[in-house]
Amino acid sequence: MNKPSNKRAATARNAPAALLPTRHLLGIEGMNPLEINALLDRGDYFANAIQKNSDQQANLGDALKGKTVLNLFYENSTRTRVSFELAAKRLGGSVLNISVAGSSVKKGETLLDTATTLNAMHPHILVVRHNCSGAARLLSEHVDAAVINAGDGRHEHPTQALLDALTIRRRVGHIEGLKIAICGDIANSRVARSNIHLLGTLGAEVRLVCPSTLLPTAIDQMGVSVSTNLEEGIYGADIVMMLRLQTERMAGTETPSQREYFNLFGLDRSKFLRAAPNALIMHPGPMNRGVEIDSTMADDVEKSLIRTQVEMGVAARMACLEALALGGETA
Amino acid sequence: MTDLLFTNARLLDPSQNIDAVGYLAVTDGNISAIGVGTPEGADVKATKTIDCGGQSLAPGIVDMRVQTADPGSEHLEDLPSLLRAAAAAGVTGFACLPNTQPVVDNAAMIDSLALRASRIGGPRLHVYGAATRNLEGTEMAEIGMMAEAGAVGFTNATSSIDDALVMRRVMAYASMLDKPIIQHCEEASLSRDGEMNESETSTRLGLLGIPAAAEAMIIDRDIHLMRLTGARYHVAHVSTRAGVTAIRRAKAEGLPITADTAPPYFLLNELAVSTYDTAFKLSPPLRSEDDRQAVIDAIADGTIDAIASDHVPVDGDAKTQPFGPAQPGASGLDTLLSLTLSLVHQQKITMMRAFEALSLAPAAILDVPGGTLAPGAAADLVIFKPDVGRLIRGADFTSLSRITPFEGQPAQGVVTATYVNGICVHQMAA
Repeated sequence: MNKPSNKRAATARNAPAALLPTRHLLGIEGMNPLEINALLDRGDYFANAIQKNSDQQANLGDALKGKTVLNLFYENSTRTRVSFELAAKRLGGSVLNISVAGSSVKKGETLLDTATTLNAMHPHILVVRHNCSGAARLLSEHVDAAVINAGDGRHEHPTQALLDALTIRRRVGHIEGLKIAICGDIANSRVARSNIHLLGTLGAEVRLVCPSTLLPTAIDQMGVSVSTNLEEGIYGADIVMMLRLQTERMAGTETPSQREYFNLFGLDRSKFLRAAPNALIMHPGPMNRGVEIDSTMADDVEKSLIRTQVEMGVAARMACLEALALGGETA
Repeated sequence: MTDLLFTNARLLDPSQNIDAVGYLAVTDGNISAIGVGTPEGADVKATKTIDCGGQSLAPGIVDMRVQTADPGSEHLEDLPSLLRAAAAAGVTGFACLPNTQPVVDNAAMIDSLALRASRIGGPRLHVYGAATRNLEGTEMAEIGMMAEAGAVGFTNATSSIDDALVMRRVMAYASMLDKPIIQHCEEASLSRDGEMNESETSTRLGLLGIPAAAEAMIIDRDIHLMRLTGARYHVAHVSTRAGVTAIRRAKAEGLPITADTAPPYFLLNELAVSTYDTAFKLSPPLRSEDDRQAVIDAIADGTIDAIASDHVPVDGDAKTQPFGPAQPGASGLDTLLSLTLSLVHQQKITMMRAFEALSLAPAAILDVPGGTLAPGAAADLVIFKPDVGRLIRGADFTSLSRITPFEGQPAQGVVTATYVNGICVHQMAA
């Protein structure tokens, strides 16, 4: 049996599976601290179980046993897709990956036709990434499966924010009261939006740092402060979260050059000195080395949490998948 | 002898400022008499007498912004369905944008549409000619020949004429023919790829924003060109406070500028987009609450002259998509009267002002029949019950285009009959 043994569970904080009031996980906006913390607690438990247990399956439960998770990715992705796949498999689920290249989507099939086609095969959970904001929500309105938003346009990427929070929590111990600077291409970043919601909800002080051309309208109304100077914006910050310059979503007039961007907004050692003494560096990846972050910072084993983020991605997604799988049973 | 006599009607005539219970007589397709109370003398005898039972009788609506999908995409809306929908909406005349396939950029296209509409019958179909060839915004279309064929104005349909020189030439040329230029005001370089109004909401939803300034910039530019050319210039579907302010200033200066708006811009704001419901994707986009209030004030004080349906034929295929790629626009004819009356019911405007905006002003701008119950005018009439409630349901629309941002909303005002040239073109089933 794949039940968690009591002994093991006691060593990892024995957090129960998270339960969500919604059938889908479409965004962080609207989630309350209890729901977020339930997912983080469970993610923490999974992270411990994975790290401490060589016989992994034993401690992880089988919430997804007999269930099918469908990864439907309209944008290229390596880490997120693999992370979801691994998370689902560790919970005993079976996973199908559909990438758009070479599929019927390329033949002109609409998002909803694809969705209804897949729906007819009765997957339990649909993990969707799409380049249009709101696409995951649209799908959720037309399929029976629980939908997880794995990134929709510039809107949200909830599991990234959860894994970021889990990473911070495991390293620092808490999120409340931390000064967290999110730096870079805010305008085009779904990661930024999800993190603004999540970190703000958990009581962190969130600052945004970016050139004025990448600053979305009225973002200061989302409970954050804004700076257009990296050294000023990260001053005293506990966490410096760098974002990828999303050239694929940019019109070409946002910054003069990558060289200038790195000069003004790229994180290097001298600028990083402005942050708090024990400040940590994060990046959701994939990185543009030498554009938004200098390699010496990205690879600094003391300060960089970037690899931990990837590791926590699996644990955080396990918590999400499990919560939605159980939600389906109780509904 | 009178052909048709309407009695016991609440007569609404913005041209003569009449709002009283009385009668109206029609002879040979024209209004022959109008009076308060019960008819007397020669007016009494009529071939047919219709007791309106206290219902309102007003000049038929003149809708100055309608898109037809015919020719080109007849499955979305063909001329018969469009004419039926207009008649059912109390619209006795409407002007079609030239963005059909092929584009209405020559006299033959205008002749063809007019001929086909006359064969079908019903409301008067007016046609705007394309201001530029194939609506490309680069070369002037044959405006003079289209004017001779009956074009009521010229426009680049759903986009601005970007090039200021082209716009200047088009305005100068149209002014020579005394035809208005109708402009969708949106600076393309600022609004390209835009999905909704630029605001906190667009930031939150991760949708690309179209700033309100994009509208005002084109209006401001074109006001400068009005001074250079003397052209009559009309701003279509005004949606922003900045746009309203620019128009108000130009009117104060005495320039021949006019404007219209459509119900979504005075009844809805950008928050409606929060669920990514594509029925709320319109062009121009739904704006802020402050903009909406400014539009209402501008309708009330006459800065915005007219209210149009901004009817856009779209179907589910174009709308059942993520918000970004979904096509903008929605059906507007079926709801035009009742949604405009909501401003009356909310006491933002008077009934008289409503019919000035729905009928008198657009008829004057386009120089077409409508807007008056004065004897001698064509008997283009709408009879309606202003207070009767209805639930707006796209499925009930007469138009083939059934996507509306007002789906499921209650409204008041039901059209019971429509007359064009004294001929009944719509009668609500009893």
